[in-house]
Amino acid sequence: MKKENGSFALKLCVAICLALFASNSVSQACTTKVGAVLPTSVDWGRPIAETAQFVVEQVNESGGVSGCKIEMILRDTQVDPKVGVDAAKALVDLDGVQLLLGAVSSGVSMPILTSVSVPSKVMQMSCCSSSTAFSKLAEDGKTKGLWYRTFATTGVQSAVGAKVAKDRGFKTVAILYKNDDWGQDLNRLITRDFGALGIKVTSAVAINDGQPSYKAEVTNALSGNPEALYLGLYPNEGTAAVREWLSLGGTQNMIMANSLKSEDFRENVGLQYLDNAFGTDTASPRVASADEFVKLYKNHFGKEPSGPGLANSYDATMIALLAMEAAGKGATGDQIASQVSRVTDPEGTPITADAAGFKAARTILAEGGNVMYQGATGNVRFDKNGDVSAPAVVWKFTDTGTKEIEYLSLTEVDEFIASMN
Amino acid sequence: MIQHLLDGILVGSILSLGAIGLTMVMHILRFANFSHAELLSIGAYVALVFDQMFKVTMPLMANAIGSLSMTWALVLATIFSIVFTGVSAVLFDWLVFRRIRQKGEELSMVFASFGLALIVRNLIGLIFGLNTKLYSQDIVFATVLSRDPLLVVKLDQLATFSITLVLMVIIHIVLSRTTFGYSLRAVGENPELAQVNGINLERAIMAVWIIGGGLAAMAGVFYGLTNQINPMIGRDLVLPVFAATIVGGIGSIYGALLGGFIVGLASNLALIILPSGYSPSVPFIIILAVLLIRPNGLFGEARA
Repeated sequence: MKKENGSFALKLCVAICLALFASNSVSQACTTKVGAVLPTSVDWGRPIAETAQFVVEQVNESGGVSGCKIEMILRDTQVDPKVGVDAAKALVDLDGVQLLLGAVSSGVSMPILTSVSVPSKVMQMSCCSSSTAFSKLAEDGKTKGLWYRTFATTGVQSAVGAKVAKDRGFKTVAILYKNDDWGQDLNRLITRDFGALGIKVTSAVAINDGQPSYKAEVTNALSGNPEALYLGLYPNEGTAAVREWLSLGGTQNMIMANSLKSEDFRENVGLQYLDNAFGTDTASPRVASADEFVKLYKNHFGKEPSGPGLANSYDATMIALLAMEAAGKGATGDQIASQVSRVTDPEGTPITADAAGFKAARTILAEGGNVMYQGATGNVRFDKNGDVSAPAVVWKFTDTGTKEIEYLSLTEVDEFIASMN
Repeated sequence: MIQHLLDGILVGSILSLGAIGLTMVMHILRFANFSHAELLSIGAYVALVFDQMFKVTMPLMANAIGSLSMTWALVLATIFSIVFTGVSAVLFDWLVFRRIRQKGEELSMVFASFGLALIVRNLIGLIFGLNTKLYSQDIVFATVLSRDPLLVVKLDQLATFSITLVLMVIIHIVLSRTTFGYSLRAVGENPELAQVNGINLERAIMAVWIIGGGLAAMAGVFYGLTNQINPMIGRDLVLPVFAATIVGGIGSIYGALLGGFIVGLASNLALIILPSGYSPSVPFIIILAVLLIRPNGLFGEARA
């Protein structure tokens, strides 16, 4: 009896599956699959995936890519490199996608890139990975030009930090940096940027968290008698190190990374000592296209796009699909990747980041022209490593929080970074 | 160089205070108590609570003593904290260690102490939050003795060092000159024999916990005073304190004192030749070196 039941269920299932499959193939004569590997099982990951899906819907509404409807196959990474690689591999090998969107964490994106995308020559576009390890990989030619991301790296932060030092006329700077991936990365970048601007780094001292005392480290940093102090630290060890620094008679000219934008740090160090302390941070762009995105998002989802990486996810998906359109029907991953520069060309015809913009782009691209995508994070422009920069702000502590001192638009940041190289 | 020596002495005196309690517990109860450093956290936080309370209720006491960053309120709070921490050490023994001592073996005690450390650490985080706290927001500026070479000293450092030394002398006198001290040492040497000679074992163990807890509380307050207070004090200090204990030789008060200073000085002096990223490894290099040359530590004695 039991056995019969089982086989009946199986038959039913097969029938339904066949029916579904049949109806699918009838209604959509032409479908292009793209893969998305995103952490949908975590609360902040789902909106990122939904935003990508929203872009796909708009593109389909405008007539799809190369006449075909786009189907985004979404796979969960669970923020786990192993799961992410499995998912990406399945998408590439079984579904035959030529484009992978994702992942979010650098630690997941990296193995997907090195063990799936690059060997299979599939283009990978991440919304949210910020590690400079990708830039390094690209510089070594190991990404084969298949890698892009719409999230700014630590490079923006360091460039603006160096700019603050230059603007305030500091000639010598000491660096205290957190002894982890992020801190070491930041230290490497800021040292390079200070050097490019002719500012001497008297010493760069690594700060390990949870040490019984930072006196020795601070004394080392103090020894070169620098005019200013650069802080690539988190609030916890930052508080201890800066209090030590000040009590030993170190300068109050300080430049802080965005990690120190913290109430605790301000209170525990004391606002009276932070008058000459300037912070840096990346900012959302203040351009019409960014406001348009917010409006569009609110219309569709009924709430503000307040989560992390939403604007970046929107642009990542849109640019990838634009590049796909530019590459034409049946294009392979490397062909799509090579078209990214055509759709983010600063000299190209400006297009908006919606269905109408995609339609307009289709015509221009078909005629062999280039377009300049104006998206949720501004006029996205990739450098040779597939990295983007971002607008930046310089801020300062006040008695109620922080206030903005200076806003650098994307163009200004780009120009400043270019001027240093 | 001289600056690093000075800094090493400060760190050393905090580690010494922690190590003395640990070495006594390890010697008399014969297990490596990984929750000992949590007593420093408890001490620091309890003092913080009382300090804030006294400052509000007795504003006069909120004034700093001389050029120290310490206030009378904090001194009083420290005394309360010493008592409270000593009592909580006894409580931990009653709740956890005594029960395991009766049934399990040494290794079970070690694991239990790991568990206890985690519970205490997270409870503190739950109650006080994970963010940094300070006894006083003011920054006490160091006295500059010389600009080149840079030589600065903080009075807090000198005070901490002096108080540590005074405490050491007191403990030494108690252990070597009083009946109470003899009984403690007897329990450490041989618990059964000590009992035969009329020593109350339970009471001796309690005394060890109270002394260890009290010293840890002082170390915690000094750490909070010269650094900052957060729930991770225990985690951050447990290994240096262990290093000091092992270097000094388990059971030796003087060894713990010296061990604390050796570890403190070495971590600081190492920065002259090593990049600062490697400084956390220095205490362990010292442990290895000492154990290779003197397996029982500098002042330790081999025992069965």
